[in-house]
Amino acid sequence: MIEVDSLAAVRAGNRILEAVTLAVAEGTVTTLVGPSGGGKSTLLRCLNGLETFAAGQVMIAGHTLIAGDHPPRALERVRRDVGMVFQGFNLFPHLSAIDNVTLAPRIVHGMPPSEARSRGLELLDRVGLSRFADARPATLSGGQQQRVAIARSLAMEPRVMLFDEPTSALDPQMSAEVLDVIVELARGGQTMVVVTHDHGFARRAATQVVELVAGRVHRAGPPAEILTAGGR
Amino acid sequence: MTGGRQGGRCGGRWAVAACWLGLIAAAAAAADLDDIRARGELVWGADQEGGGPHVYVDPENPTRLAGFEVDLAAMLATELGVTARFQQGQWDRLPLLLGRAADCVINGIESTPERARDWRCSRPYFAYALQLVARRDSPLDSPEALAKEGPRGPWRVGVLTGSAAETEMRRRTDFAVEVVGYDGTVDCLEQLRGRVLDAALMDDCIASFNADRFGELRGIGRPFAGGTYTILTAPDTPRLSAAIDEALGRLITDGRLKALYDRWDLAGRQQMLLLRDAAEVPPARRGSLADLIRGALPLLLRSAGMTIFLSVASFPLAILIGLAVAVGRLHGPAWLRPFLAGYVEILRGTPLMLQLYALFFLLPKVGLALPALVAAILGLAMNYSAYESEIYRAGLKAVPAGQFEAALALGMTKWQSLRHVLVPQAVRIVMPPVTSDFIALFKDTSVCSAITVIELTKRYSVLALSTGRIAELAIVTALLYLAMSWPLSLLSRWFERRLERRSERSQA
Ligand SMILES: Nc1ncnc2c1ncn2[C@@H]1O[C@H](COP(=O)(O)OP(=O)(O)OP(=O)(O)O)[C@@H](O)[C@H]1O
Ligand SMILES: [Mg+2]
Repeated sequence: MIEVDSLAAVRAGNRILEAVTLAVAEGTVTTLVGPSGGGKSTLLRCLNGLETFAAGQVMIAGHTLIAGDHPPRALERVRRDVGMVFQGFNLFPHLSAIDNVTLAPRIVHGMPPSEARSRGLELLDRVGLSRFADARPATLSGGQQQRVAIARSLAMEPRVMLFDEPTSALDPQMSAEVLDVIVELARGGQTMVVVTHDHGFARRAATQVVELVAGRVHRAGPPAEILTAGGR
Repeated sequence: MTGGRQGGRCGGRWAVAACWLGLIAAAAAAADLDDIRARGELVWGADQEGGGPHVYVDPENPTRLAGFEVDLAAMLATELGVTARFQQGQWDRLPLLLGRAADCVINGIESTPERARDWRCSRPYFAYALQLVARRDSPLDSPEALAKEGPRGPWRVGVLTGSAAETEMRRRTDFAVEVVGYDGTVDCLEQLRGRVLDAALMDDCIASFNADRFGELRGIGRPFAGGTYTILTAPDTPRLSAAIDEALGRLITDGRLKALYDRWDLAGRQQMLLLRDAAEVPPARRGSLADLIRGALPLLLRSAGMTIFLSVASFPLAILIGLAVAVGRLHGPAWLRPFLAGYVEILRGTPLMLQLYALFFLLPKVGLALPALVAAILGLAMNYSAYESEIYRAGLKAVPAGQFEAALALGMTKWQSLRHVLVPQAVRIVMPPVTSDFIALFKDTSVCSAITVIELTKRYSVLALSTGRIAELAIVTALLYLAMSWPLSLLSRWFERRLERRSERSQA
C-alpha cells in the first residue's frame, strides 16, 4: 500500500530526511517513533504531498510521487485516497461537526447533501459523537474535536490514514477515547501510519514500528523487537 | 484599520460645515469703506474656474487672470482710491467670503430676490440672457423643443450649479429635462461634447466666449429669460455698497463701462438698454424657520435617499472586488500579483475626488461616457475596494495555516479550500473593520457632488446658498447624517461584541 524508496528532504539547507526506505502493507498499522526533530512529521507530510522532497520516490494507494513539485491535480488525487489527522485537530471552526464531516464529500465528490449527511451521521456515530452533530467545534472538548477530525477524514473513504501525534495535545482521559477509535479502525483493516510517542498504543495496535533518528530509519520491525522495556 | 485614514477621509465635508458654523458665530463686523481705504486694497471674490469671459486664467500666461470682471474690479478699486486684490472661492459659495476673505463678490452673480434679501446687491452692471447650447448634430432646434422628450428620454441639460440657468431649468416644469449641475462651464461643455449631455444652458456671454473652443457646439434658438449681474457686499457695509453704486454710476455715465464691454465684445443690445436705465432689485423678506424647514426638508430627505442609495449600491461591489483582489494577491498566479498590488496602491494613493473626475470627465474622451450615477457608484466601489482588499488580506492571513492544510489534506483544490474554508473565516474576522468602513463610505458619498450627483451635502450647500440659512440647514443636515450613521455604528459594535464572545468561547 505504501512504499517509500530512498527519500531525502532538505529544509533551509538542512537534510531533514536521508535515504528513508520503508514499506507498509495493506491493512497494517505502522507507528513512527523517535526523538523530537527526528523528521517524523516531515515524512508523514511527504506521504500525502503536503510537502515536497528532494530525492527518492513514494508510492502510496496506487499513486506515485517523485522528487520535486507536482501539478496540483496529481496531489489532489493522492490526497483523496490518503487521509490525515493533525495534532491540533484543525477542525473548521465556522462549521458544525456534521458539516465538517460532509464538506469534502459534497464539494470534492459532489455527493448530494442528504446522502452526505446520513453517511456523516453514521461516521459521527462510529466515533461516538452523533449527539454532537450540530455542535460547533469550539463547544467540544479536545478529545471530541479529534474524533470529529477522524470522522472528517474517514468521510473521504481514504485507503490510507496518516495520524501525526493525534493525542499529544490531549489529557490521558481524552487520549484514551481517541486511541480507542484508532484501534477500532485498525481492527477494521484500515491501513494507517501513526506518529506517536505512546509506546503503549504501538504495542497494542502496531504491526510495525519504525524509529526515525536524525532523519534516518534507525530501526524498523515488530513492536516487541523495537520497543524495549522502559518505553512509555 | 488605521484611525488616521478614516479621520482624513470622512472629515473633510464635516470640517467645512463646522468651519462655516464657527465662522458665522465668530464673524466680526465686515470691513466697511473706511477700513478698505485705510488698508488701500479692495478684495474682490470670484471663481477663476467659473471661466470666461468673467474671470479666467489667461491661457497665454497662466499666472495672470483675465476677464471683463478683472478689468471692472480694477476700475472700481481705482474709483474708490485703492487697488484691487483677487480672492479665489468656489462659485456657488462666493457669498460666504463676504465679511471674511473678501469685501465684495464680482463674478456674474445674477440679481435675485433671495440674494437681495441676504446680502447687499449693487445696481446692475451687466445684462445677460440664457442661451441653450447643443451639438451641431443635435435634433434640438429651439428651447421650446425641450418640452417634448428626446430620442433617449428626457433631455439631459447641464447647468452651472446655483446659477440662474439652473433655477430657470428647474422652474420649467413644462420641459422634459433632467437637470445636471456642474461647478464649471468647461466641465459642462466637455460633457456636452462627449455626449453625456444633450444640451447646456448658460449665460449668453459664456456661450459666445466658448464658441471657438467648442466648435462642435452651437447656440440653439435665441437667448431667453435674461437678468442682470450684481456686485455683492456684506449686509453690514452700507458705505461700501453705496460707494460701489456711485462708482458704477460714474463708469456708466462717462462711457467707461461701455468702452470696457466694447473691448470684450460684450456690448449687445440688452447691454445698451441696461446702461441706459439700470433698475434697482426689490428687497425681499426673510421667511420663518418653520417655513424654511417645511420647504427644505423634503428636498433634503430625497437627497438623503440618494446618499443611502450610493452607499448601498457601491459597498457590496467594493467588498466583492476587494475580496477578489485580496485572494488574487495571496493565492493568485505570480504574474497577476504586481498588477493587483498596483491597483491597490494607485487607488489608495490618490484622492477619491480625482478618481471620480477621471471616471466621469476623462473616460468620455476615449469614447466611454458613463452616466454620473454609474461613475459615482463605480468610483466609490473601486476606491473602497482597495481598502477592503487590504482588510481581507489581513483577515485571510489571520486564518491559521492548519486550516488550509486540513482542507488540502481532504483532497480539496486550492480554490475550493479558499471558497469553503479560508474566505468564510476571514469574512468573520474582518466584520468589524468592514462595517466601520461602510460608515466611512457612507460619508464619503458627499464627494460625488463633484461629478454632478446631488446627494445630501450638495443639496445642503445649494439650499444654504439660495436661502442664506446656512447654520439652520447645517444642523438639520447634520441630524440627518447622524440618523443614518448611528444605526450603522450600533451594528458594527454588535458585530465586534459577537466576535469577542466567540473567541472567548473558543479559547475556553
Ligand atoms: N520548513 C522547515 N524549515 C526549516 N526546518 C524545518 C522545516 N520543517 C522542519 N524542519 C526541521 O526539520 C526537523 C524535523 O522536523 P519534524 O517536524 O519532521 O520532526 P518531528 O520528528 O515531527 O519532531 P516532533 O516530535 O517534535 O514533532 C526539525 O529539526 C525541524 O526544525
Ligand atoms: Mg512532529
